[in-house]
Amino acid sequence: MPRTLTRRELARITGLSALVLPWAGRAARGGQNTFRGRVGVAKLAPPAAGGALDPALARTAVARAIVAATGAASARVALAALFKPSDTVGIKLNCLGGRHLSPHPELVEALVQLLVEAGVAAERIVVFERSSRELQRAGFVVRRDGASYRCFGVDNDYDPTPSTSGAIGSCFARLVSTTCSALIGFGVVKDHDLAGVSASLKNWYGVIHNPNKYHDTNCDPYVADVCNHPFLRDKLRLTLLDGLVAQCHGGPAFRSDATFPLGVVAASTDPVAADAWAWRVIDAERSRRGLPTLAAAKRAPRFIATAARYGLGVGDPAAIQEVAG
Amino acid sequence: MRHRLDRREAARLGAAALLASAMPRPARGRTPPVGSPLEGDDLPARQASWWKSLGEGRVECQLCPRGCQVADRERGACGVRENRGGTYFTLVWGAACSVHVDPIEKKPFFHVLPGAQALSFATAGCNVECKFCQNWEISQFRPEQVPSQYLPPDALAALARQRGVPLLSATYSEPVVFWEYVRDTALAARRVGVRTTVVSNGYIQEAPLKEVLPYLAAVKVDLKSFRDAFYRDLVRGELKPVLKALETIRAAGVWLEIVVLLIPTMNDSEEEIRDLTRWVKATLGHEVPVHFTRFHPTYRLTNLPVTPVATLERARSIGLAEGLSYVYVGNLPGHAGENTVCPGCGAVLVRRFGFSVLENRLAKGACPTCGRAIPGVWS
Ligand code: SF4
Repeated sequence: MPRTLTRRELARITGLSALVLPWAGRAARGGQNTFRGRVGVAKLAPPAAGGALDPALARTAVARAIVAATGAASARVALAALFKPSDTVGIKLNCLGGRHLSPHPELVEALVQLLVEAGVAAERIVVFERSSRELQRAGFVVRRDGASYRCFGVDNDYDPTPSTSGAIGSCFARLVSTTCSALIGFGVVKDHDLAGVSASLKNWYGVIHNPNKYHDTNCDPYVADVCNHPFLRDKLRLTLLDGLVAQCHGGPAFRSDATFPLGVVAASTDPVAADAWAWRVIDAERSRRGLPTLAAAKRAPRFIATAARYGLGVGDPAAIQEVAG
Repeated sequence: MRHRLDRREAARLGAAALLASAMPRPARGRTPPVGSPLEGDDLPARQASWWKSLGEGRVECQLCPRGCQVADRERGACGVRENRGGTYFTLVWGAACSVHVDPIEKKPFFHVLPGAQALSFATAGCNVECKFCQNWEISQFRPEQVPSQYLPPDALAALARQRGVPLLSATYSEPVVFWEYVRDTALAARRVGVRTTVVSNGYIQEAPLKEVLPYLAAVKVDLKSFRDAFYRDLVRGELKPVLKALETIRAAGVWLEIVVLLIPTMNDSEEEIRDLTRWVKATLGHEVPVHFTRFHPTYRLTNLPVTPVATLERARSIGLAEGLSYVYVGNLPGHAGENTVCPGCGAVLVRRFGFSVLENRLAKGACPTCGRAIPGVWS
């Protein structure tokens, strides 16, 4: 007998949504420490070509961005509300752009220092990327032990079996699934040839073993599905973006003729809002240069709206509240 | 099922690798010693075949129907092809992650040198994502995530000769994504009198398929379903290009066998099996063997049972009733449906148990009872 399964039947039989269902009906992500739709922005000029950032200025910018994002009295207060001393905090960088278009090490050091001051022991902080080699190329020192914070790549340390979230089925980095109890995304502000924007949510493609499988249809809904997995949905508490230099075209690789000195550090407890803000910034620069908007170029970052529908944050660029730090 | 070369084997094959100097050189960096383990940044990147530039540093892959458009520093969906500054590279030429000597029945080929052994090899990567993949631990990973060793085509051919096997087989993961490696290995193997077979999903564009077919002795294609919805939902591919590839292989005169993994409730309806077998007969001919094989829960499809024996038997009956001459059941050791039977007189020609050939009565590729010629690669 012919049998045509409905989508729902198919999902039931294949179990593809098995992991989604338990929390599908939950309230939207957020709580007293999540400031939906709000992005804190602090000014900081990029260093001269080849130069390093002044650590004191870097610290001030990171702290101001966090304060602006949270309205807390200080960065220490804000971070102490977000992270417990018992947390193991993972900071996921996006270093694909190499030295020219990755988070500046001085900014990451500043964040680590502020976390320590907020009560998280340095040895419970792990700065990580997909591979150690990428970290080194971006100017970070790989460190797996010692009294200081850790800094190393996932380097194939994934869960042995895949887990499912929406349309994706992936083995997650054990750092994310098991080791860390809290996560911070630390990306850059750049155009992405397929996704449209690579800033906050897209950065988390770096924690699954098979991101190459999920670049169809402008990475939608896949980016949102990765971030809706409980490993991220329940652990991601803060997003920072190094916007000292941003890129409005030709990403994700660094392209010198498409970068521009945006001169800001951005922070948000709403990872979707951080992307919506980045989209706004990139489109503004594209307009200034006479380039079509991302939507006109047929690569609007649709995953942002999908993530908003999942309740992960605010996805409408026009609804983002930018607060100067 | 990984085989790592020991020092002695690697040294012996090193000589063979000298012959590889005729092959295209790696993109940059040193050529790894034959048999050496490959690490993430030592992958033997070579300029890929079958792609075009889209300008502004972007490329379009023209190997499989996905036609990935890839930005600089990014990879295609298979994870083994990378855009580096506007030039497209394969990262798996010579990067063997599995090397093993298997009976040819394991592929399965039932009409290719029954009982012969095949040196079987694979690299990481696949261009689709079957939720029921049996080899997902290599097919669904990128090459730097899977332990591999450097075995260039001449070394593989030499290894086959050294092991005394008449066949090489590109298998386990998806040969389409290492198609340059398949092509160059088939050429190298031909020079030393070894024939090459391919076990594929058939999800490939016509030009690269046609280019390599002349070097192949046989191709087995997994026809995963006869419904496009199945391909889209459970495979993340499309049916039409696979049917086209089957026609191309058949038209080229390369020996073809088809495997259909029957998954309970997904692709096992009588109507679908009837449509499939009718199409095979009408388009490819009644002499193309079709194997209906048993599904076991795995990877992302673990909530379905193994295929009932009755389902496999019913599929076989439908195929035979629709006029196919060679319809087998698979993953069912000891079942009579594993045997090759003469469609003329009904005599059992090749008796099998699983991957073992218990008896081969074929006489010069014909039935010894009625003299009917049986199609295949027999000598
Ligand atoms: S072979 Fe790989 S890169 Fe090429 S189109 Fe297919 S999936 Fe994409």
